[in-house]
Amino acid sequence: MEQLSNSLARTPLNSVVVKRRSKTKSFRQSYRSCLGLTPALTARRLSKSRKAPKSHYITEKVNPEHLALLLKSEWKLSYVTPLYQFRHTQLKSYSRQLSAFIAAEKQQGFAVEVDGSQSNFRVSFSVVQGMTETEDDAETVLIQIHSKPLFAKQSEAQRSVWSGWLTCVNGNSDYLCSLPKDFICLPLFGSSGSEVLTTLVQSWFQKMFDCCFGPLEMNNTCLQWLAALWTNCHPESSIQHLKMIWTLPVVPPLQITYTVNPKDAWKLWSSVRKDPCEENKEEEGVSIDIEDVMRFMQGLKSHFYRHFRLDLSAGCLKQVSTALGSATFSGRVKISNSQYILSTLTLLTECALFKMPV
Amino acid sequence: MAAKLNVSESSESDSPNLSNLSACSRTGSRSLRVAEKERRKNGAEEPFVLALKYFSNVEAGTPVIGNDEFERNMVLVEQVAYFKGLSPEAISVMLEFAMSSRMGTNPCVRVLKCLIPTTMVPQEAVVRGVAWLGVGKIPISSQVLFIKWVLTIFDMIDAKDQLRAIYGFIFSFVTEESLCPFICHLLYLLTRKESDIEHKMYLLFPQGRQPFLSHLLSLYKVLCPELVTLSIPSRMRSGFRNHNSPWKSALIAVQKSNGSQTDSSTSLPLTIKEKTSLRKRKHKHLELPVLSSQVNKQPQTEPFTSRKVVPLAQLHSLSQLLENMHCIELPAQMGSLLGSSLALQYLDCVQDESALLRLNFWLGYALNEEFFFCGDGGGSQTSEEALQFLDKLLSSQQFLQEGFSSTEAFLYKFLSVWDGSLFRPQILSLLSNIPVVPNSQIGQLLFEPLMQLFFTSSLFFRCGLMECLNNMLLKWLTWHSVYALEDDLDISLNSHTSINMTLSGFKDSVMELIHFAGRLGSVGLQLEGCHSLLLSFILDFYETVCDTFLKYGLPLVVMPPPGVFYPALFAPDPVSVDRLVNIMYRYKVNLTSAKSKEKQAFHISRQTFREFNHYIVVMVNCLWNSKMFQPDMGIQLGEELLLKSNIPEYWASFDLVHHPAFLSYAVDFHQRVSADHLDGHDLCLHSKPWTWYLEFLNSQGYDGTGFSLFPSFKNNASYTEYGQHLCFISAMLQNGFQG
Repeated sequence: MEQLSNSLARTPLNSVVVKRRSKTKSFRQSYRSCLGLTPALTARRLSKSRKAPKSHYITEKVNPEHLALLLKSEWKLSYVTPLYQFRHTQLKSYSRQLSAFIAAEKQQGFAVEVDGSQSNFRVSFSVVQGMTETEDDAETVLIQIHSKPLFAKQSEAQRSVWSGWLTCVNGNSDYLCSLPKDFICLPLFGSSGSEVLTTLVQSWFQKMFDCCFGPLEMNNTCLQWLAALWTNCHPESSIQHLKMIWTLPVVPPLQITYTVNPKDAWKLWSSVRKDPCEENKEEEGVSIDIEDVMRFMQGLKSHFYRHFRLDLSAGCLKQVSTALGSATFSGRVKISNSQYILSTLTLLTECALFKMPV
Repeated sequence: MAAKLNVSESSESDSPNLSNLSACSRTGSRSLRVAEKERRKNGAEEPFVLALKYFSNVEAGTPVIGNDEFERNMVLVEQVAYFKGLSPEAISVMLEFAMSSRMGTNPCVRVLKCLIPTTMVPQEAVVRGVAWLGVGKIPISSQVLFIKWVLTIFDMIDAKDQLRAIYGFIFSFVTEESLCPFICHLLYLLTRKESDIEHKMYLLFPQGRQPFLSHLLSLYKVLCPELVTLSIPSRMRSGFRNHNSPWKSALIAVQKSNGSQTDSSTSLPLTIKEKTSLRKRKHKHLELPVLSSQVNKQPQTEPFTSRKVVPLAQLHSLSQLLENMHCIELPAQMGSLLGSSLALQYLDCVQDESALLRLNFWLGYALNEEFFFCGDGGGSQTSEEALQFLDKLLSSQQFLQEGFSSTEAFLYKFLSVWDGSLFRPQILSLLSNIPVVPNSQIGQLLFEPLMQLFFTSSLFFRCGLMECLNNMLLKWLTWHSVYALEDDLDISLNSHTSINMTLSGFKDSVMELIHFAGRLGSVGLQLEGCHSLLLSFILDFYETVCDTFLKYGLPLVVMPPPGVFYPALFAPDPVSVDRLVNIMYRYKVNLTSAKSKEKQAFHISRQTFREFNHYIVVMVNCLWNSKMFQPDMGIQLGEELLLKSNIPEYWASFDLVHHPAFLSYAVDFHQRVSADHLDGHDLCLHSKPWTWYLEFLNSQGYDGTGFSLFPSFKNNASYTEYGQHLCFISAMLQNGFQG
């Protein structure tokens, strides 16, 4: 636009601004748009179709001790924005720092002297190898906090009082690749133990890695997916029951517990499934469409309607549980079977990535 | 004198209260209304004073059941208590009444529940209350309630020395099982080093190891470490439970309605633990993190280990910032930058990709949590917080002169659920900060939701949106004029975080925006009956549009749609007409300049020229040439129809003399001129008065209509006609005066 430089209406202010900014950097910030930043608005949706859970031989890949821990408790889920400058190589030092942080926070307001070296909390960070599905996934990190019980005797051993993990299984690779190198994306955080400790751990992460934690609720679609995915596993490992809890918006609020016999559930599921293409089955595994899931749920709902004249579509699915695991609307999940842990975590990772602000 | 005046006023205004004349004259110069208010207040207060008298004098043993007098007085006290709280004296009286159990133990709970202090609680009352505990007449549940009350209003007790003096007495209640937790809490708050801890200690041990006891003990250990050998676990649960006291909400309500802003009095005596824990977790996301230096130090493997870094938190002035520019360390949490202009200045300078992304993650998280995920965020307190947050965000963006990408992403999502009124000024300002949206997405992301909102909202939203679009356009154009100069025409970026945009892409987006605003403007004017406020905002927008080429160097000229042009031309207010003329003039200058440089600059479509010429012809014919409704103009009406209307000289009805917007000026002008030296007849003959008239308009501030912009029209052959038009005015005026 050299030719315009002599035009009369050019305001002097512009040229001042031009001088201030260097050429290479100028666009970066000013033309930063969320549209280019991440595939935020288009790519990050819940998948419309996913592969049926294969029974992974996960026990061979993952340390059985870790696996047992993951299966043991019910986890309260949160989403986490990417961690800035998190290093898997620094876990030892993180353990030290977090235990010091917890000790310091716990002392606040008491002003009781701590016996300097000996903190009552022992934190351990560890990597759970083998939980990843793709190259872009960062390795899962497990955090455990041990402590002595209140007024314990000196001789008593410390026991685990809190545990939590950060994971990313099958994360959207477009999203993961769009992040600069300084960021590690472990969007799914599960915790089990006292809420006070959860808050402390979260605030330590926030201070250390400049990330944010938000509660991860599981919406209807997500819970319906879980119900279908688990039912789909029935022939290989029995689900024993398919239990769903619905709430209906009536006065007074009505809660409905709907338990389905596993065989019936499986029958219904097989009837709504499209014929799985034989050729695909061998190579890629069976894929399940959202339509299948919706038909399955519709079948369950209309069955219920036939008996009780109550349309569950008006309500809200609050909880799904089978022998393979359970999940609640408020974001509590228990996975009871190691074989299907990865497919469940894939779905949950998707939900967590869906919540990412940018 | 003043009183008399007031009296007469009041009788004139038919005030219903003539009876307060005496009060009025007593207060002298005070206005009636104040006196009236006072009288009402006194009136309300009087029964309350009587009620208090009743409670302080009532004889022991008076029955409660079936006692109407008690009931009436009690209700009165409760009303006052919940409405504006009780004065210190009232608290004393009522507490004494309750704790002394003069009317049995039944009213005790009821009284305690309504003991809501306005300002403070006299210490003596509390001490007396504690003393009554020792009498043992009160049931244990009421005793608990009393201690809970003391804990709740602890910060409002005017002094604590006497309470500390009876520390030992209070301590004796520790042995009472159900009182113990609350007594411990109270002791915790009262304990000082001087308190005679030594003797107390031994009493505590047999009590067990409940958390409240260990809390108290931990405090004792701090004060007298030599006495407490017991190892206190540092891991304790959440301290003293935050007793769900029945007074808290009432207390807050009363203090709010009394407008007391003192934080100290509203803060309830919670232990520190509780303050830091999850009490307000839900809305915690709106709190800015504290500006603190980095904790997560990277292992220094590079040879620059000795490099000195200065945390941003330690800098307090711009000069300090400049001195340490090379060695500044970003804070641990980028969200903290939002509160500090110094930090923002630094951020603007370094343009650190990761730092910005961190800030955006935090910001987007906070916005999402507040507006999408926080299901029931309703309360007024929340919106106050959100308002402050948005204002802070806005001022940061204005400081940086650009929007954050997370705000942008948030807005795209938010627009589809927005009702158009929640935080309207803030949201619209945020919206005006968004960067250029590519042509392919602009419709779906921006126009569709905005269109829906525009059609379903009030006039104020419509005006606000036009203003917002104008600001958005201004920012886009400014951005272009700054950067297009630097790198050639092609604005392409290959950083993976940004999108590519060519000049033509940018032009398309700007054009889309202008067309969109034009559509909204046309329809909006129709819906609002050409409301002049809306028209003014629309003209603001076109004042930006008409200068895109010369002022911002963007080779683009877009004409306003007829739906905007004609309402402005026929607007009943002279300012709008004048602005339209000015806008058309700027269009002309831009187009002329573009045409003269066309070979190098850009190609303007013939359609644009045609539109422009058409508008100019209409405008000139209408305002100056008195040739409305000519066949070659856009507005065509049947000849017969026009004749039928019986308007004389209909072709002149929108010239500068007859135009509804300028008629009053024509009249004014005529009066001045004829008053000076010319009679109406002369006006008709002369051609000069028309020039005078235009000069007159010019002097009134209408430089557009006043010919100074379109001087070429001065030589228009037909302008002698104007003399006749002014003559018409003169005739009309004379007729008017006669009739």
